[in-house]
Amino acid sequence: MTVQPSDIWTRLTALFQDVLDDPDLAITPVTTAKDVPGWDSLTHIQLLVAIEGEFNIRFNTAEVAALANVGEMVVLIAERTAQKS
Amino acid sequence: MQQLKTLIGNSAYEEAWSRLLELGAATTDGPTFLSLARLRQKLLKRAPRPGTRRRVKVALLGGATTDLLEVPLLLALDIMELDACVHRTDYNTFAQEMLDASSGTVAFAPDVAVVVNTSANLPAWPEVGDSRERVEQLAEKVADYWLKLCARLHENARCEIVLNNFHLLPTRPLGNLAAKTPWDPNSFIRRLNLALGDRAPAFVHLNDIDALSSMYGVRQWFDSRYWFHARQPVSFNCLVPYVLNTAHIVRALFGASAKCLVLDLDNTLWGGIVGDDGPEGIRIGEGDPVGEAYKGFQEYVRRLNERGILLAVCSKNDEVSALAPFTSRPEMVLKRENFVAFKANWDAKPDNLVRIAAELNIGLDSLVFVDDNPAERAHVRQRLPDVKVIDLSEDPADYPVLLDDSGLFEITALSAEDQNRTLQYSENAERLRSMESAGEYSDYLATLEQVGVIRPFDEPHLDRITQLVNKSNQFNLTTVRLSRSELATMMSDANRLTAYVRLADRFGDNGLISVLAARHDGTELWIDLWLMSCRVLKRGVEQLLCNHVFEWALEHDVRRVHGSYLPTAKNRLVEKHYRALGFDMVDQGEDQGTRWSLAVASFRPFKVTIALKEDY
Repeated sequence: MTVQPSDIWTRLTALFQDVLDDPDLAITPVTTAKDVPGWDSLTHIQLLVAIEGEFNIRFNTAEVAALANVGEMVVLIAERTAQKS
Repeated sequence: MQQLKTLIGNSAYEEAWSRLLELGAATTDGPTFLSLARLRQKLLKRAPRPGTRRRVKVALLGGATTDLLEVPLLLALDIMELDACVHRTDYNTFAQEMLDASSGTVAFAPDVAVVVNTSANLPAWPEVGDSRERVEQLAEKVADYWLKLCARLHENARCEIVLNNFHLLPTRPLGNLAAKTPWDPNSFIRRLNLALGDRAPAFVHLNDIDALSSMYGVRQWFDSRYWFHARQPVSFNCLVPYVLNTAHIVRALFGASAKCLVLDLDNTLWGGIVGDDGPEGIRIGEGDPVGEAYKGFQEYVRRLNERGILLAVCSKNDEVSALAPFTSRPEMVLKRENFVAFKANWDAKPDNLVRIAAELNIGLDSLVFVDDNPAERAHVRQRLPDVKVIDLSEDPADYPVLLDDSGLFEITALSAEDQNRTLQYSENAERLRSMESAGEYSDYLATLEQVGVIRPFDEPHLDRITQLVNKSNQFNLTTVRLSRSELATMMSDANRLTAYVRLADRFGDNGLISVLAARHDGTELWIDLWLMSCRVLKRGVEQLLCNHVFEWALEHDVRRVHGSYLPTAKNRLVEKHYRALGFDMVDQGEDQGTRWSLAVASFRPFKVTIALKEDY
């Protein structure tokens, strides 16, 4: 079963809200760390770990460093979850 | 978790704290634990946790990145019932923090410093082709590098130190030949870990990352992606065991410890129900996988007993049935004499636990309860919240792991008393029996043929002294808790009288059972520490030690000896201690504490039936 993008979006938003501790946080495809208070290099790791756990996927070393905005994350998640099905 | 957020949102803070700690204790998943830890920080800003607990100051020093360890460590320490505050220093500054007497860490005055060191921080590795001798020497040198840093920090801050040993590297360029090659990095790490274990002084407590990472697998333990990205020392899969394991050590140093493991019988120590299946029908021992699993559990429990944990049985059975397997089944690893209490009856288990604690003269919070029946566990949890209850799974093969992971039996030093504890309790039972058959109490005391030794604190007994100081609750005048380092400082303080008492009688050696310390200030002597094991109550030790104090006072031109009593929930027993020794009450504080004094000139030594010796 392929994970639909909108489903990814909902789950990703919930995840961001939890890790960044902001229940009202809204994210868009162009949201980056600069736009969100509290998204620093360490919360970045926490976000990635949480995404890996939530979607049962694994980022490689380059991706861990390079994923710069939310849109890229969604694309990668969709790709990885599609590969599994 | 959502429920927890709602509770916080509704300002139901007390309930939120209990739910948070409940969830934290049950979570093994890293990211979830981190989320709970963050929620804890949020909750802490709104309302402190209700109740009082032991305060502990923890310095967190980084070889690796410690940012993501601080908040989960605080949650773990909270779960251990410790009120901790953490002072974290910058990445990779551990060396200067430890060496510099004016560092932030030293200024923080920690009770314990937790060093997060990894193999990336090693100052040297063997060269290709190094001989075994060279590698062994290098391992000792590198171990000493770490221990010298610890010694300096200990000199500067007088704190306990938790130091990691090292996990193996996740790859083997030499393949299996590495096992026969001394200069291979993993061969070196193994030797280094052994050298650390052999050379670590009493104030350095090794965080056994080597063992822990083996349990999970080095490849699960260490995530190279996050190491490369941010020097994260442990993967998120293993964040919880890492942080809990560290917290277990801190609890062993500063918190309550388990003294007695109380076990159910049916389906806990053997398979089946002895009342129904009979002793021949229960499953224990070889030839049957389930029987072997229970035997394995009994072996684990026996190991705990060997190192000083008392064992008790609490079973819903009639006593004859319950005892039968111990005599009729040779496969039983545990024998009746391993247990200092054996409650097999139809009473409610919480009632039995209360009786066991009373008989052994220990607090309910020193009991650990193990029972395969979730209803029994729930009943005990509900009636006796101080008792630690371990949740068993349905498979006896899991039982040893579950007990192990609880960290409740973590201990930072073993004394001779620990190893002889069960024997001491059964000797004590014999004493009680002989007392019942004796006539007058004073006659009884004379027949005991007691011998005592009083000495100032010394290094060989410091572990046991530390244990008594931190675990005695009842016969404890001021309930001051001190670390081993602080007691060592007292030992070398010229302005102090320190004393411990060892006691033996014709039934056996009671070991070191009383501790006293006093501050000498010119003509005044202030007793600030006086405690005793309840096992030797009313045998004359109190008077013997009092005689010793006044003899010392006379020799040191002291005119007046002072003592104080600080009441707690557990030490009402010694409310009249100083009065019984002839002191006068000087005043009574608002806290119901009392202060006492007695002039040296007015003191008359007590007659005691204990023969004072140099040694026995």
